[in-house]
Amino acid sequence: MTENPTASLTLLSDLTPPSLERTWLTAPHPSLPILATCSSDKTVRVYSLTNFRLLSTISGGHKRSVRTCAWKPHVQGESVLATGSFDATVGIWRRWDSYGRAEDDTDVRGLSSETLNGNGRDTQKDEDDEEWRFAVLLDGHDSEVKSVSWSPSGMLLATCSRDKSIWIWEDLDDGDNNFETVAVMQEHEGDVKCVAWHPVEECLASASYDNTIRLWREDIDDWGQVACIRGHTGTVWYLDWEGIGNVPSITAVCEQGTSLSAEWKDQCAISGPRLVSCSDDRTIRIWKRKPKEQWAQSRVASSDIPSIIRPTGTDETWEEDVLLPQMHELSIYAVAWSKRTGLLASVGADGRIVVYEELLKTPAPTLDANTPTATPATTFQPHTEWVVIAILEGAHGIYEINHVAWARRADRSREENEEVLVTTADDGSIKTWTLRR
Amino acid sequence: MASEMQNSNPTILNAADLPTRLQPARSHKLGIFGNGLFASALPSVDASGFLLGGFTSSSESESDDDLLEEPIDEQEIYDLVSTISDPEHPISLGALAVVSLPDISITPTLPYVPASPLRTVTVLITPTITHCSLATVIGLGVRVRLEQSLPPRFRVDVRIKEGTHSTADEVNKQLADKERVAAALENGTLMGVIAKMLETCL
Repeated sequence: MTENPTASLTLLSDLTPPSLERTWLTAPHPSLPILATCSSDKTVRVYSLTNFRLLSTISGGHKRSVRTCAWKPHVQGESVLATGSFDATVGIWRRWDSYGRAEDDTDVRGLSSETLNGNGRDTQKDEDDEEWRFAVLLDGHDSEVKSVSWSPSGMLLATCSRDKSIWIWEDLDDGDNNFETVAVMQEHEGDVKCVAWHPVEECLASASYDNTIRLWREDIDDWGQVACIRGHTGTVWYLDWEGIGNVPSITAVCEQGTSLSAEWKDQCAISGPRLVSCSDDRTIRIWKRKPKEQWAQSRVASSDIPSIIRPTGTDETWEEDVLLPQMHELSIYAVAWSKRTGLLASVGADGRIVVYEELLKTPAPTLDANTPTATPATTFQPHTEWVVIAILEGAHGIYEINHVAWARRADRSREENEEVLVTTADDGSIKTWTLRR
Repeated sequence: MASEMQNSNPTILNAADLPTRLQPARSHKLGIFGNGLFASALPSVDASGFLLGGFTSSSESESDDDLLEEPIDEQEIYDLVSTISDPEHPISLGALAVVSLPDISITPTLPYVPASPLRTVTVLITPTITHCSLATVIGLGVRVRLEQSLPPRFRVDVRIKEGTHSTADEVNKQLADKERVAAALENGTLMGVIAKMLETCL
């Protein structure tokens, strides 16, 4: 705890009414100012980020706790939600966006009494318009579903379970709610706790009770493991990807600033977005793919295997980029990497929220000496440092926090492009926070 | 499960020898077990004053003999879990010495946050035989019993006592996994077994 926080988290609002049972995860909608919260009461609660009130409750689909949910991206005129439950099934739910648009209108004009009454506006509409329609139940897992994730295009849905498997389903989008099983991967040796798609590529990352993180890609019609990352010494609970084009903040105004950022972007273009993971071992680690060319060269140099044998091999080498400052005393359940600001937030069993920022530093002059084998292209490697900018103790009182997410702020006091943190806790409470620098 | 017992002839302790302070008739036991317990445990129990910042009044509660006013201590945890029945025998975990008073501790969950009211209750379990496959079920029973009985500021940590079980690490990892425990509580078959174990608890 040697860090000196420079920012503070302020409670913006609770989402009301809260669930009466444990809530596991809250997923912000990709475009509308709404959120979906998964609860142990077998329902999903949809809240407004405009007035922080409950809009609707999706119930009747799952026989046990809803553990996870994810919004399908790029759907026009409709919202599609995938839910994963301890009952071993995955549900797909649909709803026309008329309601969300009404929210948007309200958003522009300010709060009206109508929306404060919750569904008041909608009662004038056709019943069918209001309801979440249960579309299809995806049946295949043998035990509890722990996480679901849509691919960036929205074509593929990945699901994972305590049965140690990951399933990839293709949404056939045939108007008949048909999904086809594309692949079942069973390499993990324990519960698969989390699946997360790369922000642009069809590359899936998974985290497990077996302490590993694995990466999966399709290679000539077959989905297979391309990397197995070892490093954590406990269950890996959650993963999140870095946004595309993320550039860390420059510490101080300096002449080198612009060139540093440019260098950084070049580096990122080669290795691609990084992956962050959090674990029962109380650490948060960031992982980076070793650039392909460099990797091929090193293989040639070490002359173990001539690169000509597998010039386009799918195997990837992922290395630990950084271990974040250790600020949690108990298991870390979730980490969220903002796609807008690059800030990272983590939560866990100790009830603490921690926010981290990555700062771009002037390259150390001794870099060459440390890496004698580096090729000339890598000598000027931008170097970053992660610092803790905010810590909030007991954010949900005595309760454990199960999930954290960044969402675009939507209430009328918002500033342009401002974000809020959304935390979800064991007592069923969901809170939104603003970060003040 | 019932037809083939893992341990058909377990060692059973005499009920009169079990630590207690609930029955006045055996209040002399308090002298033997109570003092020893209080001497070692009070500093941590003490810091667990129910209120935030209750730190200053700690010396007063130390001398407070009124049991009703006493914060939750190891004996109370013992009383909660020792009456649980073994899934194999109609005998309590206390009588089987699966749970014992010296293997129960209460510590601040966040030692670096003095104002935090969070307390961790650690219960070490000694299975009757080192390869008992029911260790997970027993551990789950203890965890369920404590989670249902204690206020939410208590975190329950149930583990196999070191050196007493062949797959202790595996069992401990399962018992510490919140998600697995939550899912187990929704498993009807498993909860049937647990409910039966807890039937003997008052």
